[in-house]
Amino acid sequence: MTRSQQIAYEPAHLEIERLTVVYGRRQVLDDLSFRVEYGERVVLVGPNGAGKSTLFKALVGLVKPQSGAIRIHGLPTGAHQDCVAYVPQREEVDWRFPVTVTDVVMMGRFGRLGWFRRPTRADRAAVERGLGLMGIAHLAHRPIGELSGGQQQRVFLARALAQEPHILLLDEPFTGVDAATQEATLSVLDALRDQHVTIILSTHDLGLAAARFERVLLINRRLFGDGSPAQALRRELLAEAFGGQVLTLPDGSVLVDQCACNQPEPESIVVK
Amino acid sequence: MNTLWSWIVAPLAYGFMQRGMLAAMLVGVLCAIVGCYVVLRSMAFLGDALAHAVLPGVAIAYLMGTNLTVGALVAAVAVALLISFFSRQGAIKEDTAIGIVFAAALALGVALISSVRTYAVDLSHIMFGNVLGVSPADLWLIAGIGAAVLLTVLAFYRQFLVVAFDPVLAATQRLPVERLRLLLLLLIALTIVVSLQTVGVALVAAMLVTPGATAYLLTRRLPAMMAVAALIGAVSSISGLYLSYYINIASGAAVVLVATAIFTVIFLAAPGRGMLWRGGR
Repeated sequence: MTRSQQIAYEPAHLEIERLTVVYGRRQVLDDLSFRVEYGERVVLVGPNGAGKSTLFKALVGLVKPQSGAIRIHGLPTGAHQDCVAYVPQREEVDWRFPVTVTDVVMMGRFGRLGWFRRPTRADRAAVERGLGLMGIAHLAHRPIGELSGGQQQRVFLARALAQEPHILLLDEPFTGVDAATQEATLSVLDALRDQHVTIILSTHDLGLAAARFERVLLINRRLFGDGSPAQALRRELLAEAFGGQVLTLPDGSVLVDQCACNQPEPESIVVK
Repeated sequence: MNTLWSWIVAPLAYGFMQRGMLAAMLVGVLCAIVGCYVVLRSMAFLGDALAHAVLPGVAIAYLMGTNLTVGALVAAVAVALLISFFSRQGAIKEDTAIGIVFAAALALGVALISSVRTYAVDLSHIMFGNVLGVSPADLWLIAGIGAAVLLTVLAFYRQFLVVAFDPVLAATQRLPVERLRLLLLLLIALTIVVSLQTVGVALVAAMLVTPGATAYLLTRRLPAMMAVAALIGAVSSISGLYLSYYINIASGAAVVLVATAIFTVIFLAAPGRGMLWRGGR
């Protein structure tokens, strides 16, 4: 089997080795190393400004690392075009743009289509599958401007599914969405695990991370904890990663204050 | 009926009117379609800046006695590249870069033109257009460049769509986002240059923005938005020229006023998005 055939058929594994990213003078990621196996499901937690979004952007090649290496299928990023799908935070696009839900999900196929090939039946089928999995087939011809926040999130996810990725990256998919969308997303992630799609998801919700994921990465510029929720979300590790934003209550539970200076409402999460 | 017919046909008895109509219609359609991206990417200021920035090119061509359109073309491309260069360094924001380059080019243009004796007349033609002075050669140039621009917009439709809607996705799909942005900038520059003869430097921004903005209120998908904008552009151009012929006002201004009137009506009455519609609910 040739290298490119291997890439086409094997689920991906991901290696990050001593990754350092610098924006101007600020070091956003510092000597970060970890490895994610085939079809593993990992949740990324850490305070605001911990570099979670930056890590995702480095993984898809949007941010150039200062040093270190990212290898997917053992190859550097850029060697394979469409095996990583990235679901960015919802604010990153203009939702008043005159496109329908189907138009947006079809964009997920553009990477495979290349520059001038027209979408085939297979592409349209992938789009329909994505819409169906996210439960938004009935919205297919709606303009995106008419959707609620949860529906917008589902459109983004349907687009990522239409890409048929080996690795799926989701940046804060549960921020500002309804409970039904959160559950729909989690059950799609369960289905993807059966197809050995590697998933990395970031969230503010430590309770959810502990309840629904088997592996947690606790980061704040560098790696503070890596393992099962019980191992990675230990009180002393949280205190280290979140710095002064952690309060230990008398009953032994830990209160994490996620307040960032630019957010008016502090968001507090209790971990037992 | 007969009088209406003669009212429509009378101006077309003149060759210069026929050429003017054709040129205005081509420019109206071209500006409207390219203008959809200008509206969606919020580049109205950039369009205006590019239009004013062609002045020094026109002036230099005039002083050298060469073709004015070629001069404008060189200047527009140079300014598009300069703006893209300044803003890509990241030290200043894009609109600041546009403001600096635009004002400098305009000043240079005025300085050069003021050194020529027939300053006032020529400047007003460049600023406000002179659609009745379109020569057969000008018409061919407009048609040729216009066709090239439209074909490019069509060929790269998908790429321009992704870069405009979601540059992050475009980058993860390894599209050359910066180069596509520059290509779009060049297409806008070309459109502006071929529009100079009909609406002039000062008013071309309106032809880029107004039909697209009107179509945005009426449609929900980009292809439909482009088609409706093109129709509005063509209708404004033709009725503007008739207005200019019968009530004897400047043609470029008449075209822009018609386009603005259409926009105002749609803005108030558009189904779903218009003010009256929302107010009535």
